[in-house]
Amino acid sequence: MMMDNQNGIENLAFAISAEEIAMAERSLESALKAGASGVQVSLDKARTDIYALLNGEIDNIRQTGDRALTFRIFADGKYGVFSTNRLDDRSIGHFMKQAVENVRLMAEDPYRRLPYESETAKNAVRGDEMELCWYDYDSVTAEDKMRMVREASIYGKEGSSGEGWKLISEEAEYNNTLTDTLLIDSNGLRCRQLETSFEVCSQVSVEDAGGNIYSGLWWDYAISPEGIRGSGAGLKAVREAVSQINPVRKEGGCYRMVVDNRVSGRLVQPVLNALGGRAIFQKSSFLTDALGKKIFGDGFTLVDRPGVKGMSGSILFDSEGRACIDRDIVSEGVVKEYFISTYMSGKLGMEPTSESAMRPVLLPYVKDSEKLTSALREGLDPERMGRDRILGLCGDGILVTEFNGGNCNGATGDFSYGVGGYEFRNGIITGPVESMVITGNMVSLWNSLIAAGDDPRNGLSRQIPTIAFENVVFSA
Amino acid sequence: MILDKTHYQELFQVTDKDMADLAVTALSHGGDYCDLFFENTIDQVHQLMDGKVSSGGLNVDYGVGIRVLCGEKTGYAYSESTLKKDMTAAAEAASAIAQGLGCGAVAPRDTRSIGATYTHQDSNGGRLVRRLFQGRPNPAADRYPIVSDWRNLSPSVAVDWLYRLEDAIKRKDGRIISISCVLSDQTSDLMMYNSFGELKYETRPMTTLQAMVTAVDKGKKIGRNASRSFRKGAEMLTEELLEEMAASIADGMDAAFEAERPKGGQMQVVMGAGASGILLHEAMGHAFEADFNRKGQSIFSDKMGQKICADGINIVDDATIRGNRGSLNFDDEGVPGQRTMMVENGVLTSYLHDRISAKFYGVSPTGNGRRDTFRSSPIPRMRATYMESGNASPEGIIASVKKGIYVNEFSNGQVKIGEGDFTFFVKNGFLIENGHLTRPINDVNVIGNGPQSLKDIVAVGNDCIIDDSAWTCGKGQSVPVCCGMPTVLVNNLLVGGE
Repeated sequence: MMMDNQNGIENLAFAISAEEIAMAERSLESALKAGASGVQVSLDKARTDIYALLNGEIDNIRQTGDRALTFRIFADGKYGVFSTNRLDDRSIGHFMKQAVENVRLMAEDPYRRLPYESETAKNAVRGDEMELCWYDYDSVTAEDKMRMVREASIYGKEGSSGEGWKLISEEAEYNNTLTDTLLIDSNGLRCRQLETSFEVCSQVSVEDAGGNIYSGLWWDYAISPEGIRGSGAGLKAVREAVSQINPVRKEGGCYRMVVDNRVSGRLVQPVLNALGGRAIFQKSSFLTDALGKKIFGDGFTLVDRPGVKGMSGSILFDSEGRACIDRDIVSEGVVKEYFISTYMSGKLGMEPTSESAMRPVLLPYVKDSEKLTSALREGLDPERMGRDRILGLCGDGILVTEFNGGNCNGATGDFSYGVGGYEFRNGIITGPVESMVITGNMVSLWNSLIAAGDDPRNGLSRQIPTIAFENVVFSA
Repeated sequence: MILDKTHYQELFQVTDKDMADLAVTALSHGGDYCDLFFENTIDQVHQLMDGKVSSGGLNVDYGVGIRVLCGEKTGYAYSESTLKKDMTAAAEAASAIAQGLGCGAVAPRDTRSIGATYTHQDSNGGRLVRRLFQGRPNPAADRYPIVSDWRNLSPSVAVDWLYRLEDAIKRKDGRIISISCVLSDQTSDLMMYNSFGELKYETRPMTTLQAMVTAVDKGKKIGRNASRSFRKGAEMLTEELLEEMAASIADGMDAAFEAERPKGGQMQVVMGAGASGILLHEAMGHAFEADFNRKGQSIFSDKMGQKICADGINIVDDATIRGNRGSLNFDDEGVPGQRTMMVENGVLTSYLHDRISAKFYGVSPTGNGRRDTFRSSPIPRMRATYMESGNASPEGIIASVKKGIYVNEFSNGQVKIGEGDFTFFVKNGFLIENGHLTRPINDVNVIGNGPQSLKDIVAVGNDCIIDDSAWTCGKGQSVPVCCGMPTVLVNNLLVGGE
């Protein structure tokens, strides 16, 4: 979403200034003078305002502003990472000297190097190329911020009580954040990304007639405040809490499992972790030796799409300054890529790719349906395959809407998670279920994928839609 | 470590008068109370991987946080510089925020816990009335004196210890194919001043050593790890500690290779002594934090003074264990660290308070006001949380179980405060069949409900162990904590399994 460009970056009071850019450049020179053979400098600046209500009344207001320099220093074939928020020239000069001395105490490592100039991003110059910045950030008044948090709150308003339940507590919050990152190195790299975000959220506790407490949470995010006005976060949080009243104890067993798009990313992250170059190198990944092999089911196609403008997670460069490009991570079950940083490239003897997935997207899929082309899939109407349709496809099973703890063993892929949610029959939610535990193995799980929707939630960098699996083991 | 006051004032370039002036500025638009929190933290990290310590780093974090309280309302701002103009700007920001909170309209408050309401007098720049925690910090009562300060040592000391740890682990088991070790040391100079004129200062050390290994046997691959963390300087590192960590990784390796996931369901669970304290932390400790209770969100909100578990059960949150990861001389509001009995003989006797919740409840703060850095406002947090020993023998507890599991290695936990539902992940343990530990198990989640699980504790062992691993609690902010537990038998927990 490209916003009104009347003002531009120059008018953003808390963006990195020309003086600060000069300071970063001086600090790079300072490191080279202290004896570094190569240096990367990252200047990170952030500003946040938070307005929080407790039960409809102001509880706290916080204002934060951070600025720090981080140095990756290479000296005599050795390497270290150093950061400081003491940014006067004298402190930086002293810090650089100490940093280079420390680096020289490390063991030599021939694989530590800056990325080659040819590998780095060239198109992130101004910082607003990804259209993640709203130039009127500074125009939002304190009164307007207070208005937005009050709008988000449900406490004392219609909808805050009902038959057999009452709202006993609500924490509502509004926050706006501006982040600005500048990355330069001694090979001539210069990248910048500037983002704004506006969020409202509501966290509620409701009590039923029996004195049992149920909690609900809702949040909304946008690049500008217009995207969060009228979000109804409080009402949605209350609805979520109330919908959990009177849970039934479901028998343990194997069920179809649908996972809501708010939490489905939890089941993708272990796969992303297992594809990391470090885990592969240390042989601590359940996807060791999986590259190019069909490990997962046909329906599992995971891509990285960091270049979509205006979308959370989109970025043109990674933390090394390497250019981020569209990549296929897993294609129809075949592992297409490990995440190989510059360092891991040397260790593993593989071409560097990307240090991680910047904006992973799980593409839609329906088992046994006519196959769709990739182009069509990515263009699907969000209305076509949301949660309700997937519940309908699945018939009976358990809809998971929250994860409560648990873990996945990175070496084996075995997982166990606490989950909460609802039972559904004939595609219709029939009621909440008491907390359960799901167990299994990540490879087996993704081989049992029945469907993946096209409804990933806005504001999440992991674009994972509602997903459904066959034969998941639930304990209760 | 507690140094002379001048060390801290020179470091942060402030005088007594500067701090008093800042307090006046912060309260210039109203408010009951304000405090300043100065921090200078130096973190160093060194990592061994593939037999070499080839990466390391240093982080400096410096600044001052300024908080204004109006009743239970909080206004907060901070500065990463302690130049007078920058601190004044932060104080003015906090003051403006306080005005936004409606502080000017706040009437004089009940002063049962915080002390007297701050009285602003233009003529003398503000009178700082009644002190609650008088007296200078006392080095003789220091809970974490630093013998060997990392800031005075060459990084080569850290590098050397990492190689020694790797060697100790290698010697333990030939099936280990990969070792990664991390040594991190943190030293924080802190100074706290408030509108009562109380001034506290200290230097908090923290040294943490971690080891992660991958081992292979007959094609089966497992990961194991160990960590130790103390509020100590470099003196924490000894050959005995390395041997203890290496043994911790190697002991139980055979069982870990044989382990399988058990059949799930409701069953009796014997919590092994030590790290099982995560159950207390997640299931009860968070629900005892007073902010959740003040807001009516905790399932224990209406249980103060009530019997919540069996006679003989005592649960403690303790800041006084010398050198412990969770210990504090003062919390981050300048309140003296102390030992707080939360449950005494089965009765809920105290929540964990910061100044705000203490005032709300009309009790003294318990020294649990903590923050991760100067960037955050303090909130009630745990320190070292443990259950005191009971009178049962651990062997007898296991022998009493016909069918269940014994758990003794964990990786994480989580709780839903309102519902009281908690979960923790068991890395390793054993099946209990007819009173004996039989087959090893792994990778299961155990879930339950806090109040119900407390009631379901039917035996408490006489073997409480404080677990000195590197536990960190997340509640919006990360703080170092510690947990402990004797062997305990809990009826009817849900175990996830095949």
